[in-house]
Amino acid sequence: MTPRIPVTVLSGYLGSGKTTIVNRRLAEPGPLRLAVLVNDFGAVNVDARLIEAADSPVVELANGCVCCSIGDDLGAALDAVAALPQPPDHVLLEASGVADPARIAMTVGYWPGFRLDAIVVAADAETVRKRAQDKYVGTLVRQQLASADLIALTKTDLLYEHQADDLQAWLALVAPRARLVETQFGNIPNALLIGQASPSPTAPGHHGSHADIFVTATLHPETPVNLPRLRAALAALPETVHRVKGLVQDAESGETVLVQSVGARHEITPAPGLVPTGLVLIAPRPTASLDAAVESLSRACAEPAD
Amino acid sequence: MSEITVFTAKKIITMNAPMPEATAVAVRDGRIVEVGTLDTLKPWLDAHPHSIDNRFAGHVLMPGFIDPHLHPTLGATLLPCHFITAMEWVLPDRTCAHVTSHEAYLARLAEVVANEGAEEEIVVTWGFHRIWHGNVDREALNAISATKPIFVWQRSFHEIIANDAAIAWMGTAREDLERHPQIDLPSGRFFETGLAVAVQAMNKVLLAPQRYMKGLELVKRTVHLGGHTTIGELAYPLMNDQLEWQVLSMTMGAKDTPFRTKMVPRALQRGNFEGSPEEDVRRVAEYAKRSTEKMFFGNNIKLFTDGGFFAELMQMRGPGFIDGHHGEWLMAPEAFETYARAFWLAGKQIHVHCTGDMGLELALDVLQKLQDEKPRFNHRFTIEHFGVSNPEQVQRIKDLGAIVSANVYYVHELGEAYWQKSIGYERASQMARLGSLERAGVKFALHSDFTMAPAMPLNSAWVAVNRIAESGAVLCPEECISVEAAMRAITIDAAYILGMEDEVGSIRAGKKADFTVLEQDPFEVDPTALRDIPIWGTVFEGTPFPIAS
Repeated sequence: MTPRIPVTVLSGYLGSGKTTIVNRRLAEPGPLRLAVLVNDFGAVNVDARLIEAADSPVVELANGCVCCSIGDDLGAALDAVAALPQPPDHVLLEASGVADPARIAMTVGYWPGFRLDAIVVAADAETVRKRAQDKYVGTLVRQQLASADLIALTKTDLLYEHQADDLQAWLALVAPRARLVETQFGNIPNALLIGQASPSPTAPGHHGSHADIFVTATLHPETPVNLPRLRAALAALPETVHRVKGLVQDAESGETVLVQSVGARHEITPAPGLVPTGLVLIAPRPTASLDAAVESLSRACAEPAD
Repeated sequence: MSEITVFTAKKIITMNAPMPEATAVAVRDGRIVEVGTLDTLKPWLDAHPHSIDNRFAGHVLMPGFIDPHLHPTLGATLLPCHFITAMEWVLPDRTCAHVTSHEAYLARLAEVVANEGAEEEIVVTWGFHRIWHGNVDREALNAISATKPIFVWQRSFHEIIANDAAIAWMGTAREDLERHPQIDLPSGRFFETGLAVAVQAMNKVLLAPQRYMKGLELVKRTVHLGGHTTIGELAYPLMNDQLEWQVLSMTMGAKDTPFRTKMVPRALQRGNFEGSPEEDVRRVAEYAKRSTEKMFFGNNIKLFTDGGFFAELMQMRGPGFIDGHHGEWLMAPEAFETYARAFWLAGKQIHVHCTGDMGLELALDVLQKLQDEKPRFNHRFTIEHFGVSNPEQVQRIKDLGAIVSANVYYVHELGEAYWQKSIGYERASQMARLGSLERAGVKFALHSDFTMAPAMPLNSAWVAVNRIAESGAVLCPEECISVEAAMRAITIDAAYILGMEDEVGSIRAGKKADFTVLEQDPFEVDPTALRDIPIWGTVFEGTPFPIAS
């Protein structure tokens, strides 16, 4: 079968900065064919000029029936995307500001032909804590943060250092599973947002264009990998590693498997027939923790099965 | 000018306070010339050619019933399905007997597959409910047919069960279905987000134009069957403006349709990147050009706060739901406020879908702000559905000049279920608190939100007056309303909700000659028998339309 198209769900309440992130993606397309689905109902919109200029398909979803799945636009849009003559490599779905991202992720992640890449939740560093106490949307905002694999913290430049520390401590309580990425002007590298670093970097090394924002490292296991050990090592990675991705050979079956890890979400799925390429690790600065992570994963990969 | 026709009746209930009862009504060119007795009508009859029509001599005439909130397109999707239901459903083309056991359910389904459904590409049945019908699974459906795709749609639309033929018909890769956590292939169950996968496949049949058209013909007859002469389509369009307008015009807009439809557009339809509130106000204004006698737009706009009541996604204030889940917002509260403001400043009548007490609170908070910014009299800001509320909110509704269009049927179907499983007795028993509205003097209408409730105004009135729940128990008698208020709520006050009280809703000189013809007097029968009053048919703009037997 054709490989499932990964979907990154971009969630966040109104004013969280997620539309800026989408606009930035459209303005600076990467090497991948990215389809963008937008389902927001706020007053702020995706920049129409960017949509016109973009070479990727950009679709705004309409509201279907409020009480059932009849006329649900999301499923229809995904089917349409999959049926394109040249299907995209990746889908970025901007969820409605009032959507529960976990539910959206369940819908798109298991939609025929698609799989979930990650739930990224944007949060405005200045206002998120106030929003989280709001009479009407406080519960929703906390629920969104708690579902995040990655939290894109926007407008951090407006905070004093002690405020930033307080915020991080608070987020660690509200969203214990999530990794944090600080971003300004919607500028999140593709490597972090959709897990696509390009072109394939050599091991271990610094990525060129965004070297000041994040680093990547690649490791090539020399022997087939014991998956339970790899799984345990992924779960034990430091919080500074945001994504791990790649193809390795399963020691037990001898088949190739696809390893994907975003924040605390780890998935190892069969990918028979593909050539093992090794694992790419992506982390924001500094590099010390990344080196340690590469070290621990290498050890796990090298250990023979029991 | 045409000849005057005088309809005489055993009794005419005018719903017009200065002359509450009459026995004759003179009609010309679709409008009422005068109502009273043959004696009081004499000056008109002496001066103009006329004929006397005594066919209603044994009947009771009321103003044509009005349902100010239903959804023809939703009805059109459901009505062509095969109903196998625990309660009897009277539909225009069939009466579906109640089916209350597992064996009877499967026997009836086998009949449907062999007969009515034999020619269909897929058989879709609606009404399945585990409480009555037990465990109907893939194997049970396979036993009925190995070749005909069968989809069993659960009563509240939250689950679909399919047989092997149906699963194959969907055309989805088996491994995609197998890995889905909310699809259970061994039992054939599709639920929650898995349900969307099944419905997406079924949509190509459910929404096919021919079937949609056939469904709308059934909706048309359903509306007539309930005794309506005016309805409100309260969120246009549901999905696709082009297709819907075309097919609605051909069916509901046809010459022989015995009722008119006020079309209320929904704000924030979107799907086109035109997002500003000002653009939305302009988009909605454009609709007015399409208005015809049968289907027309007015000054109304539909907005939403919280989620569906049947889906238990209403936003609740503390203490919330027993199981701790949360409701949802259909619009971000800020977006709701922004759009409400734009339409408020444009002088529109705003209808707000509110189901929980938190959703209602948001609507009232925003209305307060709008009143502070730009006070308006006679704005008719309407709370739609009115599921859960508290008595203090009723006072705020009154203070802010809002009105209510309620789906009181909730009490009957969901009252006990929500008491046991959702929000507990105190709040569940008080849902749709119409008694408080009546005492406070807040105008309100009853609606069906069809297909959420049967499109039967007398049935809604029966629930509002008696508050009899599914088991027969009475829930919160303090919130029952009078028969008078209930009758107003399906006639003159429903007209007021739609901004049409000058044209319809009561029987008086100058108004449209719309009547609902009843076999009994709602003010005379035992209130618990209100829903059993037989309806002969209607008179729409002077022309009698009997209900075909």
